[in-house]
Amino acid sequence: MVEQLTLGRRLFVGTNYVVLALLSILCLVPLIHVLAVSFSSSAAATAGLVKLWPVEFTISSYQFVLAKPAFLTSIGVTLQRVAIGLTINMVLTILVAYPLSKEVNKFPMRTVYVWIFVVTILFQGGLIPLYMTVKYTGIMDTIWALVLPNAVPVFNVVLLLNFFRGLPKELEEAAFMDGAGHWRTLWQIIVPLSAPALATLTLFATVGHWNSWFDGLIFMDSPSHYPLQSYLQTVVINRDLSLISSSDMKSLAEVNDRTAKAAQIFLGALPILLVYPFLQRFFMKGIVLGSVKE
Amino acid sequence: MKKMRGRTWVTVLLVMLMVVVSACGNSGEKKEEGGNKNANTQGSEGSGGTGNEEKTEGPIDPLGKYDPPIEISTVRIVNDTYKYAEGESIENNAWTRTLQEKLGITLKNKWVVSGDGPGGQGEQKMNVSIASGDLPDFIPVNSRQLKQLVEADLLMDLTDVYEKYASPFTKEIMNQDGPNALASATFDGKLMAIPNTGSAMDGAAMIWIRTDWLKKLNLPEPKTMDDVFKISEAFTTQDPDGNGKPDTIGISLNKDLYGGYASIDGFLNGYHAYPRQWIKDSSGKLVFGSVQPEMKQALAKLQELYKKGQIDREFGVKDGGKAAEFAAAGRVGLHFGTMSNPLWPLVDNKKNDKNAQWQSYPIVSVDDKPAQPRVGLAVGTYYAVLKETKNPEALLKVINLFVETGWGETTTPENYAEHFTKGGYERHKYIPFQTWPARKNLDIHLHVSEAIKSGDKSKLNPEETDNLSQIEAFLSGKEGTELGWGYERIFGIDGSFKTINQYVNDNSILMSEFYGAPTQTMVEKDATLQKMELEVFSKIIMGDSIDNFDKFVTDWKKLGGDKITEEVNAWYAAK
Amino acid sequence: MLQKLKSPNWPLHLMLLPGLILVLIYSYGPMIGIVIAFQKFMPARGGLFDSPWAGLDNFRYVLDMPDSMRILKNTIIIAVFKIVIGFIVPVVVSLLLNEVRKEVFKRGVQTLIYLPHFLSWIILGGILIDVLSPSSGILNQFLGMFGIESIYFLGDNSWFRPVLVITDVWKEFGFNTIVYLAALTSINPALYEAAIVDGAGRWKQTMHITLPGMMPIIVLTMTLAIGNVLNAGFDQVFNLYSPQVYESGDIIDTFVYRIGLVDAQYGVATAVGLFKSIVSFTFISVSYYLAYRLANYRIF
Repeated sequence: MVEQLTLGRRLFVGTNYVVLALLSILCLVPLIHVLAVSFSSSAAATAGLVKLWPVEFTISSYQFVLAKPAFLTSIGVTLQRVAIGLTINMVLTILVAYPLSKEVNKFPMRTVYVWIFVVTILFQGGLIPLYMTVKYTGIMDTIWALVLPNAVPVFNVVLLLNFFRGLPKELEEAAFMDGAGHWRTLWQIIVPLSAPALATLTLFATVGHWNSWFDGLIFMDSPSHYPLQSYLQTVVINRDLSLISSSDMKSLAEVNDRTAKAAQIFLGALPILLVYPFLQRFFMKGIVLGSVKE
Repeated sequence: MKKMRGRTWVTVLLVMLMVVVSACGNSGEKKEEGGNKNANTQGSEGSGGTGNEEKTEGPIDPLGKYDPPIEISTVRIVNDTYKYAEGESIENNAWTRTLQEKLGITLKNKWVVSGDGPGGQGEQKMNVSIASGDLPDFIPVNSRQLKQLVEADLLMDLTDVYEKYASPFTKEIMNQDGPNALASATFDGKLMAIPNTGSAMDGAAMIWIRTDWLKKLNLPEPKTMDDVFKISEAFTTQDPDGNGKPDTIGISLNKDLYGGYASIDGFLNGYHAYPRQWIKDSSGKLVFGSVQPEMKQALAKLQELYKKGQIDREFGVKDGGKAAEFAAAGRVGLHFGTMSNPLWPLVDNKKNDKNAQWQSYPIVSVDDKPAQPRVGLAVGTYYAVLKETKNPEALLKVINLFVETGWGETTTPENYAEHFTKGGYERHKYIPFQTWPARKNLDIHLHVSEAIKSGDKSKLNPEETDNLSQIEAFLSGKEGTELGWGYERIFGIDGSFKTINQYVNDNSILMSEFYGAPTQTMVEKDATLQKMELEVFSKIIMGDSIDNFDKFVTDWKKLGGDKITEEVNAWYAAK
Repeated sequence: MLQKLKSPNWPLHLMLLPGLILVLIYSYGPMIGIVIAFQKFMPARGGLFDSPWAGLDNFRYVLDMPDSMRILKNTIIIAVFKIVIGFIVPVVVSLLLNEVRKEVFKRGVQTLIYLPHFLSWIILGGILIDVLSPSSGILNQFLGMFGIESIYFLGDNSWFRPVLVITDVWKEFGFNTIVYLAALTSINPALYEAAIVDGAGRWKQTMHITLPGMMPIIVLTMTLAIGNVLNAGFDQVFNLYSPQVYESGDIIDTFVYRIGLVDAQYGVATAVGLFKSIVSFTFISVSYYLAYRLANYRIF
């Protein structure tokens, strides 16, 4: 794709780089601030003195957060959750999206199925009925309680079925001609072609599992079963100052510790930040060119 | 690829299978549980109200041991400050062992959740448990949850159990703060829960002032509200931090207006206004403090201070933590707060500025009628018992043992340490049911000050010794002992409890006249009314016409306030 | 045509089965809970049908609240602006990114714009109060250089909603940008090559190939976003609003929070939730139908 660089084009390219760079900085600055706070002394942070560089540098808040054995345990739970949850999410997303990507004339029931799934985005029973359901199905206080209730991420299914529909029909038809059934077509033709979409959804599903904390709190019966984010939610205590019970004076000194909170945010997001660039490779590749240009 | 497909299917099938299997397993388990319960019944089945007939004859021993031992179920809401010695946990610690040895009680936690802030994880988990009816025998709840459980008719009437099994010392502690604590757990004359009493006096409002600034600007200590205004003005305009910039303000406020730090309670009390409290009017009826004319006067004054720049122009968007930045950064030297402020957030000011010094003062009056702080109920947690529970008295026995170990006549320093402080762990947190003497903190102050003066530490209990050592570390002038400064400012000779002691000696602390459970209309309308109040008051302080207060009073009455007043007075009449 | 029919449909049903079962259990099962909207729900009764029925009382209760119209208006205004601007920005950014030839730069930008997504509103709230402060905030200092008088962004009813919209778009646009970028990569490069041969410039390529190529995904995300017309963002508003801007910032979700969590009136809270669901459902159905009728395109 060779093209001559006109003046206008050059101007555009230059501006484009500047605009995108500025935009990135705008998004980066708050995280730097959080990072700076996490490495500052608590007193300086409480006084609002920390901007973009640590004041009175210390790693004590990381020691505070990391010192607990519960931290490692919770990472274990989270890894387990991501491994199981992501697998189930992705498999089900693919399995559901494929049939639903068929045209009505080929698969008349699809519209009914689609609405069955879409309705679940719009109508939710609420927390308490969900709690009862989880209890009755006997998965309370197990890893499955974190994984099964959201096993089918419908939003992702809808995205994927649209990607599937965008794929050249000829490929699929050719596969059928060769005598492949739906199963083989799906796994051998469709899935390999959808790498960018699947990478995107993998990212979303991973981030989703990694970040969610409320279900861990509600469905787990003991802090030792908490996933990382649920655990981190409990590290920093927010206390109602108007009702300090006489026994709680000591914990006051830990109230609203911003530095620990900042450290927890950073630790919580770090693994995803590390994984992200690897997944990005797939976004960029796009469809395997060879197979499209028959 | 083929392999992959197979494996995937196996996974999916396994998942499905597990759901089905565990669902069946669960229902089976349940039946079993029910069976066990029946087996344990000791003839008190269905006695609901008084399920306490024991087989043992003779006088009831409030600390009697169960033989054979019993198991009771509860839930625990902990937080991150719970620390354990090696090998110990919330399930296995000094208290769980003692309860087994001395009382024959084994604790079973249905769940443990970490996070005990208001609206925090623990409260949410409890809300879900209550709403879905998934409850243990002994339930720690807040007042709103208690009311729900009572309305759902799930709780046992504990009136007789309390009478029979609470030790005299427990009863004394329950009443140390007046009858309010027990009354707040009483519905239709029946005691439906045991309150974990705290200390109402500990919540009394006071003035906090930076005395190093006071001295620098040659200002007198506050005796009247006028003095406070003068100090506030001087702190704003006379550059108390001496940096040559007009970057200080007079009075710190937070956007929630009320609360334990940078609130307006103490200020309003100086005008004899008592927001969100029920007070007796001249005709002997109970009326709501937020809608009384005294409020209007006080708000007008706050508006004036705001206009003069003595209150942070942006206080309206800053919660307590954000408001604390001004104090920690040394940009404000006066606020209305409570006794614990030195430990948070003032200690951070001390860390940033070695010369900073804070002192508490009793609230002052705008006229010749002395100012009196008015405090709310000091019960955070109630212990309720499910109707079909077999041994409701176990709750009282645990509490009896707790107070006896802590402050009873029979306890020894070793025994106290074993269960409260040993190894630097806050062991008292391990026991699920507790109640605290209201005067405890005040006594610490009195004893510690005495010991500092006399040098005789022998009379101190372990908790007091611990506090004193913190204070001494600071007084020795060592580096990094700011936390000790915090303790000194609270329990030391000139600590905040000196102020509270003064309140107590003058008998000036007022209690809210209404301390019953929330009334029906309160439950329905409180959130709406409180939000309206906050909106109107904030806007008035920030410059809205003061006449909006009159409109607020009318609206408040119309939107449920009148009905609530009626209900509260009906409660008062029936009391 | 006949040949295609040879491939039977039963494997398609089979593929759907596991997902369907899980959805039936964990999504449709709890939906029975919607009955709470028509009950005077008594917690702790252990069952959903043990509470007394209340007909439409819960809905009436909400309508009788003094603020309900104000709250509805705020919600819709905030949500609609978020939907529209939150849609335009990622599309534009993904197109701009698509023009970038340097892979490293492209990836870097992508990573960075996704970052704010990881910060919670509690944290961002604290940062924004500093940045937007009328007395010491960077933004007002910057505006001051142009002689603009300082603005109380978070405390002024005419500014509060724009602040909500802009900060929300800023926080979340990286997420949607990724979706659009993935869509861009699936556009057949042959089309561009053909266009270049035809002498089409960059602008024409964008208008005639790139944008149409993204159309399905654009219509799709737009439709799903329309379902959010009553979701103005609880976390954000809750952490940024204050009594002085209740007038412009109080939304359905903060209202439900007060009713449901503070007052524990589950019946009322569920009724409001049901109302929201029905509205979303209507909007999504209508846009689904319109897309099908007008563009002959099935969104899902």
